[in-house]
Amino acid sequence: MPFNRLEATLELIGREFPGSYRLEASDDLFERLDGEPGEDDAPPEDIPLDQLCAIAFTSGSTGTPTHHEKFWRTLVVSTASSARLLDVPRDDTIHLVATIPSQHMWGLETAILFPMLENAAISDKAPFYPADIVSALAELPEPRGLVSSPVHLDALMRSGLEVPSLDRIYSATAPISPEQARKLEDHFSARLIEAFGCSETGIISSRETAREDLWLVSDSLRIEARNDDFIVTGDHLPEPVMLPDTIEMQGDHHFRWLGRHQDMVKIGGKRESLSDLNLQLAAIDGVDDGVIFMPDSGSRHPAALVVSRQLSARAVRRELGRHVDAVFLPRPIFIVDELPRQETGKIARKALLAAYSDLLRDSARKSQ
Amino acid sequence: MREQTEHERALAELIVEALNLEDVKPEEILPDDPLFGDGLGLDSIDALELALAISNTYSIQITAEDEGVQEAFATLGKLSEYIRENAD
Repeated sequence: MPFNRLEATLELIGREFPGSYRLEASDDLFERLDGEPGEDDAPPEDIPLDQLCAIAFTSGSTGTPTHHEKFWRTLVVSTASSARLLDVPRDDTIHLVATIPSQHMWGLETAILFPMLENAAISDKAPFYPADIVSALAELPEPRGLVSSPVHLDALMRSGLEVPSLDRIYSATAPISPEQARKLEDHFSARLIEAFGCSETGIISSRETAREDLWLVSDSLRIEARNDDFIVTGDHLPEPVMLPDTIEMQGDHHFRWLGRHQDMVKIGGKRESLSDLNLQLAAIDGVDDGVIFMPDSGSRHPAALVVSRQLSARAVRRELGRHVDAVFLPRPIFIVDELPRQETGKIARKALLAAYSDLLRDSARKSQ
Repeated sequence: MREQTEHERALAELIVEALNLEDVKPEEILPDDPLFGDGLGLDSIDALELALAISNTYSIQITAEDEGVQEAFATLGKLSEYIRENAD
């Protein structure tokens, strides 16, 4: 499960992990990433618990992806817990449509593992646009469920299209506000259950956001505070995992989510570190100085100020795009004469934001 | 490179506005430049946002089932052509 689908990333994984396969449902593509001929043995019907089933990659701060091995044991235990967290019906099969790709943990756990291990069936459609989501749902019998993300749910609601009756809406990848949760529940007349997790652990917790503020922790996981960090452990996890988030425990089984660690950016369900983005920017030929930052935590994109005598904003974006997933490409990119660096060379966030808002104001004035 | 047509210009304005492209001017989006990937660097969330804006402005439902859609999102020129062919 690559952290993005850039060819450069797939080549890297193919080199580092011989025996990896490239699977693409859309064109029945099934080939080994390292170019060796594949085995065409049918998969065994009973999967051994110690079978390595997937490797989830997250982008690391050094530019090399970090990998997390998923053994069948881990997936079986976490799927059972996740089904309880998301209240997957026990007596009636729920018919799911997923708008999110299954090479993400969120997609793997819901669109692939729920149908394999729980009382759920999944549509083979991978709809993206609102009209496609509606037609995929219309093909399914009741009760129906939609596995999605805040962005897709918001687009579906704003499309104004009539959506077939839904029983459950599952959302992950980014937080939904209680107001938005109530709006979505009213609009779709369905229960919205939010899931929270990461590639390393899968789903950690859930909440019914319209009615609940606190997250309920999975019955197969424990969260412990260690200094300022939070560590997730579970008997089925190969190793303890440090959360890339700041939370506040409320008793043993609930927590309040406070935000992500300063350096982390999460957009469209993908996670990236700002330091890594800045390394990629600095590595571009013709970039003399530059900084990529999040103007505020809710920004849809990071922004960048770049000092370059040769490159336009567009050229910088194109160069970055060779190594960085499009969701993390800064917008806007401003070409400037110098960065607001202090004598020590550091950039104070306050000075950076002031320079940025001046540039935004200037560009708005020019375009009028 | 040829200049934008009037329809393309209006569409470029819609793209810049709907996607909040602060550092792009509508006239800079050339009819044959890719919108995604190497061009404007748009991503899949932009595609969704753009589809909504097009539905609202031109009364067309964008669906991936329609094979023309992928091609239409390639460039400003292609998108403009697709909208003119499919608008009510």
